[in-house]
Amino acid sequence: MKRILVVDDEESIRLLYQEELQDQGYEVILAGDAEEALLKFTETNPHLIILDIKMPGRSGIDVLKSIREQARDVPIILSTAYGEYKQNFETWASDAYVVKSANLEALMNKIREILSCR
Amino acid sequence: MPELRKDPIVGRWVIISTERGKRPSDLTIEPSKSRGGFCPLCPGNEDKTPPEVYSLRSNNSQPNKPGWSLRVVPNKFPALVNEGELNKRGEGIYDLMNGFGVHEVIIETPVHEANASTLTIAEFTNILLAYRERMRVLKQDKRFHYISVFKNYGEVAGASLEHPHSQLIALPVVPKQPLESLAGAQTYFNYKERCIYCDIIRQELSSEIRVVAQNRDFLAFEPFAPRFPFETWILPLRHYSAFEETPVDKFPTLAELFSSVLKKINNALSFPPFNYMLHTSPLDKSELEYDHWHFEIIPRLTKVAGFEWGSGFYINPTPPEDAARYLREA
Repeated sequence: MKRILVVDDEESIRLLYQEELQDQGYEVILAGDAEEALLKFTETNPHLIILDIKMPGRSGIDVLKSIREQARDVPIILSTAYGEYKQNFETWASDAYVVKSANLEALMNKIREILSCR
Repeated sequence: MPELRKDPIVGRWVIISTERGKRPSDLTIEPSKSRGGFCPLCPGNEDKTPPEVYSLRSNNSQPNKPGWSLRVVPNKFPALVNEGELNKRGEGIYDLMNGFGVHEVIIETPVHEANASTLTIAEFTNILLAYRERMRVLKQDKRFHYISVFKNYGEVAGASLEHPHSQLIALPVVPKQPLESLAGAQTYFNYKERCIYCDIIRQELSSEIRVVAQNRDFLAFEPFAPRFPFETWILPLRHYSAFEETPVDKFPTLAELFSSVLKKINNALSFPPFNYMLHTSPLDKSELEYDHWHFEIIPRLTKVAGFEWGSGFYINPTPPEDAARYLREA
């Protein structure tokens, strides 16, 4: 079973993603901030990460860069409500960029697309 | 007493503080701290960028692998997309069309820590030639009407990465600022039958007080009514309206002067954040008698606030004559 680490500071989003991903047959690990994300990443070695950008304290961009220092190939999907992060080329260290929506179809399609290539 | 000065091209008024003009030391701002960490533009990370559309690389290196000295890649997460039709339409009085366009990133050097003061003239020439080459390729697509070339250096100026890069956006419309400059230049030409930029060059070379530097092909000067302190323009002495149609043999002298001006700005203002933008003719108007391409360099030393947004006026605390003197001596 593929393991997915979901990083988002909003509990409702984490739970929404968890429910949908579990329905799709993935094992889900949750993290609510940058520190927890880095810890869970090291502990669980996920197959894919869904990463929120705007979080209190260290941002998702910081997490992205830290993870890339350790693992350059683990797929990371940025999930953000803010389109302006497209202007930030630091996001290029990720594999995909999905604008948050209650409809998770785009996110699920992207996960399937990325994991099918691995 | 301060002066109100009028830009002769677009008719914009600026307020110039002539009494106690701010010196470079009054304007210097803290350079942004290095953010460090993983850089998707560095050699070895080519798989983190979209496939290159142009590159300069050693003979035995493979595309999208290390061994390059310059790469141009499409924006990985573009705001505009290069697919489909424009589908121009109206909603009542409002006009809209699909978000069509091309956004490319010019990765200027493999050296993450490089800057305008460390790049060689040959490297700078290659950057400018990359702009030219990509413009010539994108110009073949008749859906594009304008190509905006620009560089953001430093966080304050909008750069999200330290790795030296500039950007190019091909658009299906001519943006408002070039349109205003074109309209002003055309009005002047209709009246005097001369290019306003050629007239400005003649006058600036004659008076010399706002000249920063020059060589046999190009002039760098502070405009008479600059919006910002140390705003500097670089123009070809000979009349060319379209940047991409400028002969290749002019590029080494352009790079020489451009590099020299950026070094002067770095020396005088301690490596300020800056933007530079290319002003060039719309793609379907390559041989205009009244337009004249140029680069505008804007060190980001002052803030644009309510007065500027509300009036289109700018307050410039450093007279361009003083700025030119500081830069000549830097």
